[in-house]
Amino acid sequence: MISVKLERRLERKRFLVVSVPAMSIFAALVAGAVFLEATGRPSGAVLSHMAEAAFGSMDGITNTLGTCTPLIFTGLAAAIAMRMGLYNIGGEGQLYAGAIASSGAALAWTQDASTPFAITVVFVAGAVGGMVWILIPALARAFLGTSEVITTLMMVFVADRLLDYLILGSDSYWRDPLSVGFPKGERIPEAAQFAKWFDGSLVTVALPVAVVMVLVVWAIGWRTSLGFEMKVIGDSPNAARYAGIAQRRTIVVALLMSGALAGMAGATEVGARAYQLDPGGLRLSLGFTGIVVAALARANPFGAALVAFFLGGLQSAGRSIQAASDVQVPKSLALTLQGTILLFVLGGEIFSRYRPRVAFNAATPHERLGAEA
Amino acid sequence: MNHQNEVRPGESPGAPVLRATGITKRFPGVLAVDNVDFELRAGEVHTLLGENGAGKSTLASVLCGAYQPEAGAVYRNGEAVILNSPHDGLTHGIAMVHQHFRLVERFTVSENIVLGDPSIGQFLNRNEVDAAVAAVGEQFGLPIDPTAYIYDLAVGQRQRVEIVKALYRNADVLLLDEPTAVLTPTETEALFVTVRAMTKAGKSVVFISHKLGEVAEISDRVTVMRAGRVTASVEKTQLDRHELAHLMVGRSTETDAQRYASNPPGEPALVASEVSLVTGGRTVLKNIDLAVNAGEVVGVVGVSGNGQRELADVLAGLAETTRGSVTIAGVPLSHVGAKRARKLGLAFIPEERVGTGLAPSLSITENLLLTRSRPTFISLRTTRQEARELIDEFEVKAPGPNAACRVLSGGNAQKVLVARELKGDGTPPAVVIAAAPTRGLDIGAIEQVRGLLHDARERGAGVLLISEDLDEVLSMADRIVVLYDGGITLEQSRPYEDRSAIGRAMAGIA
Repeated sequence: MISVKLERRLERKRFLVVSVPAMSIFAALVAGAVFLEATGRPSGAVLSHMAEAAFGSMDGITNTLGTCTPLIFTGLAAAIAMRMGLYNIGGEGQLYAGAIASSGAALAWTQDASTPFAITVVFVAGAVGGMVWILIPALARAFLGTSEVITTLMMVFVADRLLDYLILGSDSYWRDPLSVGFPKGERIPEAAQFAKWFDGSLVTVALPVAVVMVLVVWAIGWRTSLGFEMKVIGDSPNAARYAGIAQRRTIVVALLMSGALAGMAGATEVGARAYQLDPGGLRLSLGFTGIVVAALARANPFGAALVAFFLGGLQSAGRSIQAASDVQVPKSLALTLQGTILLFVLGGEIFSRYRPRVAFNAATPHERLGAEA
Repeated sequence: MNHQNEVRPGESPGAPVLRATGITKRFPGVLAVDNVDFELRAGEVHTLLGENGAGKSTLASVLCGAYQPEAGAVYRNGEAVILNSPHDGLTHGIAMVHQHFRLVERFTVSENIVLGDPSIGQFLNRNEVDAAVAAVGEQFGLPIDPTAYIYDLAVGQRQRVEIVKALYRNADVLLLDEPTAVLTPTETEALFVTVRAMTKAGKSVVFISHKLGEVAEISDRVTVMRAGRVTASVEKTQLDRHELAHLMVGRSTETDAQRYASNPPGEPALVASEVSLVTGGRTVLKNIDLAVNAGEVVGVVGVSGNGQRELADVLAGLAETTRGSVTIAGVPLSHVGAKRARKLGLAFIPEERVGTGLAPSLSITENLLLTRSRPTFISLRTTRQEARELIDEFEVKAPGPNAACRVLSGGNAQKVLVARELKGDGTPPAVVIAAAPTRGLDIGAIEQVRGLLHDARERGAGVLLISEDLDEVLSMADRIVVLYDGGITLEQSRPYEDRSAIGRAMAGIA
């Protein structure tokens, strides 16, 4: 009898980091082609259009880079918490809070300011906004042991209501007083509007800031005592206690950093996209997608940047094939294709940890566990 | 090869009830069992002796059907059998009691015992099953309450459930994987009574162990394994402990009584005065006065659960005393925590190695950093080199310095932990607290760990040795105290002339 079983890999080979996702994407494309052909569309044309729209042209790449910038921030936000075994589910809410803080600060302090000063104000305010939003969950986690999964998620709903209140529900500082018909946010001063580096894409100063943050998160997580202590706590709280690591302080600091990064995604949305506090435009689930980014990247900051780039490409490709006249893919099918690719990449991950082994005799479940003995 | 010819069915006692030839089992990267022959006769206790990782458990797992060998054959009463699962093993009357129990905590004893029993239909007649379970227990000297929940049971009782489970299913070949590793001396005695009752009833037992003393006591025959191969098979009449030790480790071990002779102690290094600890409304430490001087080993003996763990935590600065004070090198510990205690020169080998003393997913390199004072920015390069040297010096079986401590066997993890604590970053420790430092280790590793503790003492550390292994404590300690019910009930100095007094104190008999 021939059977296939999964066997745990004793060590993870480096080439798997590339080859496994590559195979997954290839398998996804095959599955996507089946979908397309079944609905009577030329699969070759659609898929090559997607590839070109995402990564195959200058326009495509700049679009992808612009789309992925906030995802890098939210991905890092989730990743740094995961490094110590915490799940900041509320990146979405911290992103809203960051957007509120950065737009408010831009309106208040950048009227006649220089561009570098204005950019700094937008990002710092965004980071502070995100930190404020995670402060209560962080303290509750550190001192009361309250699950941060619940509290950060609840704070998303509060932020969501607050957004509506500031623009739609009240005559607030953020609302444009001239927008009488349909209320919208007041436009932030010119100095705080990030210049677009390429026509028609959202690549701005936010991208290099995101890249710097990748390096900062890596340096903190992998090269400092703080990052080491985060890793110990994440792995074994008992070992952390044994080693005399100040767990409460470390938990608060790590979650504040996480909130700050998510808040900077909000700042990016204000400074690079909306130029105002725009409740409708903010609700892209960038914060939630960041969790997927971090999980796929296994909490590695460089991996998070790569995954964000890939997801950004997938999103901009999805938009592109809906708009393209030659292929005519409806939104639902575009989303199906995006979902298929993501599903395969997630599912394929198992092969980087386990390897399939074909056996020519009867296999039992015990042998699958055998590798651990 | 026709093995059937060698076996004459029906010839008992002494006929092989279970035989294996040419068994080979490999795991990714390891040849765990290498072309091994094994034979078990009716009514005998056949011990598999060997160091950690010698392949004993793997061989037993093949014999009970949990693993399928790459090569070799298993014969039951002379018939070749193919065991694809432990269930197949059970249908052939072979059952294994694993080192890590496989019981459902939220089920009762009876429920666990009938779990997976095909003879139970859709409905469970509890009274009937309970009575049957109790009867089996009684027959073999395994008193057990069939209606008790597993989570309420102590480790020794859980093991009893596993054994009763095997007997209830009419297994007549029992494979016991290091059954005494989790037992107190009294419980071990009770287990041996059971084992004798089982062999008397015609059952055969494969007993896996690396403790020479008990092997000599219980075995009819001993097969010694080393690095996946059988190095010797000896009958009871030829048993010689030193010879066995030699066969097991491949090098001779010296007896240690003389090596740890007294030398004059120095200044008090670790002092606990009138320490009491109340946790969850329960007084776990009662008015403890204890001083460990520089250059001496003080042993704490007692049956586990009498406050050892709490005493170690309090002395290491991990738990705050309810009353009383702890000082290291004259500096009081209160309100300072583990980091401060380490700055004062404390080395602490906790009872739980992987999970407390070592962070499981962190590499050997990173675990060396765990208890050091670290600069803000760290580089692993020099520590990695240290890890490499440690692996070489202590013959740690590990893929390399980046291997996670979780993948190390118990003995190898303990070597890493003890070496980190006792060798440290160059400065010798002033105080060493070692809890069960050699438990579950093989002879070679035990020697290394004891050697390191001895070196620490020679270099002037005050060593507190907390252990259930009375022989170990008596051979190493200059002074012992007995801990019973959270208090010190007896104190003795070398030479320990009245061992029975120590035993009585441990048992709480005044």
